[in-house]
Amino acid sequence: MSETNLSKTQRNLTGLVEFSKNINSRLDQKFTINNLLLSCFGKFHTTKGFVALFENETLRLIETKGMPASFRDAFPPLPQSPECEITLKSFCNNFSISIIESINSSQNILGFIGLGEKISKTPYLDDEIEFFRTTINIAATAIQNSLMINQLKSLNKDLDSRINRLSSLFELSKEFGQIQEEDRIAKTLMYSLLGNFLTSLYAVIYSNDEEYKIISSLSSKSSLQSIFSRFSFKSFLVPLFKNDIIEHISELSEFQFEVLIPIIHQDETKGVLLLGKKGNKEDYSKDDIEFITSLVSIAFISLENKRLFHEALEKQKMEEELEIAREIQKNLLPKKSPNIEQFEIKAVSISSKQIGGDYHDLIKIHDSKHALAIGDVSGKGVPAALLMANLQAFLKSICIQGLPIEKATETLNNLLTENTSDGRFITFFWYYLDTQNSTIQYVNAGHNPPLLIRNGLIRYLDKGGMLLGVFKSYDSYVSEEITLEKDDIIVMFTDGITEAKNANDDEYTDERLEQLVKAHAHLSADELAECILNDVHEFVKGYPQSDDLTLLVMKYV
Amino acid sequence: MAEFQIEKREVSEVDIISLHGFLDAHTAPQLESVFTSLIDNSKYKIVIDFQNLKYISSAGLGVFMAFIETIRENSGDIKLSAMQPNVFEIFDLLGFPMLYEIFDTTEEAINKFITN
Repeated sequence: MSETNLSKTQRNLTGLVEFSKNINSRLDQKFTINNLLLSCFGKFHTTKGFVALFENETLRLIETKGMPASFRDAFPPLPQSPECEITLKSFCNNFSISIIESINSSQNILGFIGLGEKISKTPYLDDEIEFFRTTINIAATAIQNSLMINQLKSLNKDLDSRINRLSSLFELSKEFGQIQEEDRIAKTLMYSLLGNFLTSLYAVIYSNDEEYKIISSLSSKSSLQSIFSRFSFKSFLVPLFKNDIIEHISELSEFQFEVLIPIIHQDETKGVLLLGKKGNKEDYSKDDIEFITSLVSIAFISLENKRLFHEALEKQKMEEELEIAREIQKNLLPKKSPNIEQFEIKAVSISSKQIGGDYHDLIKIHDSKHALAIGDVSGKGVPAALLMANLQAFLKSICIQGLPIEKATETLNNLLTENTSDGRFITFFWYYLDTQNSTIQYVNAGHNPPLLIRNGLIRYLDKGGMLLGVFKSYDSYVSEEITLEKDDIIVMFTDGITEAKNANDDEYTDERLEQLVKAHAHLSADELAECILNDVHEFVKGYPQSDDLTLLVMKYV
Repeated sequence: MAEFQIEKREVSEVDIISLHGFLDAHTAPQLESVFTSLIDNSKYKIVIDFQNLKYISSAGLGVFMAFIETIRENSGDIKLSAMQPNVFEIFDLLGFPMLYEIFDTTEEAINKFITN
């Protein structure tokens, strides 16, 4: 080896040691690459060059010097493969890149470095190429280190963001436990999503007992409402992205929603959540969708729990109310049937769970005159019980006045009409029983016609007028007087009997009642009442009844 | 213990909102109502002073996102200033610096409005 060659080699070695020290001093990728390129420029007297590295197995341009913009724009994102070096070289032919070498780590290709032609326009000599390769090898370790650092940084950031999301989930579950208002829950959910994804476009549409609720950052909520009222949420089962959303719902094209996520509760889609583009312009990832779905689930379960809680509260309130109603009703009804010679009277009243408005009464006007009444107040619960109390008070005071029964009914109707406001009414039937003359005189004000059973035949007691409590009347009720014969039976009942239902939703019917009483007319009033009740019980077979049941049997013996 | 407090002052038609304590899902409604009233009064130049904010959660950040569009549509802005490092970390993690101007001091943020 000549002396010049020797000193040249020495110089080269010194340069390489210097370069190695320098390039390994920092873990910054940009610094490393920059240093590599500049060192090569200095050594080979060129002003052009680039470094491209594989990121996620795709070649990306990391740094260029002296290259035109068209090079950067057209740079191909080649996948990592044996052919990519050839493809890269043919691409670089158009940009007067003279030499391209791969940057290799101990395991694989990290990327490529290319240098432009020398200023002298002379070709790269073999020993220069050798030196270039050595330089690259030295740089490779530093580049690999910097790549790993970058990866670590990105992993760290990923971890931070996962931790942040977890704390968002915790925060919201804690917060939702404390909030009572539905709107507040939806808004808190909104803020959390806006903060996490840096978007300001947001909409939640869900239905709540047929009613659509919309919480959105959009000012035009009504247009969303009209769009979604035309779609069944059931058709949304999986998250939709961008164009898929518009494909499903073309009207949404005017909004820039990026993702639509169905709100699924107990296997049913209850609503949808829409979000605009993320602040970092990236697409929503699978992780993002999972995170959103978890947040939405927490919010929705919380809403659902609140709803159930309120329902339970309402139910409890109603139960208490019913207990009051039951008490009122119990106190209104006669405790026992009066003893009247030659007349058997049996009254039975069974109140349903919900407390209907069945009423009956037995009022002694004087020794030989009694009033027997049955009625059904519309509605249930406390309001019905109170109206019933009114009815009884009016009826008792009217009975004292000794009015003819038509006139008495009219007075009763007029008083009740004045005292009912909310469209309630009463179907009512009553008669005066004159035990001295064995006659009855009745008025039927819209009640199921009681049955008079005589010699195996049935006569309906249906003369009267309109039901009570709706319109004031004048001379509008008529009465009928009937002279009783021995063994005559009068069966008064409410629709709780004829409309009693079994599990198949079949009704007991008037016909069945009529057949039964005709067949058992030989029984005493007590026995007949029991027979009817037994038959109804047998029919419904324990199926819970929604209406009260009242029966008033009178037999002339 | 007052866990979150908001102070308001005005300098040359710029509203400065100073936040104290913890801004999270629980306290977010307070900040929300401040923004709502500013917007109702057509005041769109807003500087948030984070000097005394100890903690912010993503739900707290969401409040800024919810109002920024309306404010910018009215040629205003929300500028953020004087964040503690732990608060800035959250803003940074979620990418806020891409969308908001963040200043070291409240004065710088105010000046940016005034010189514009």
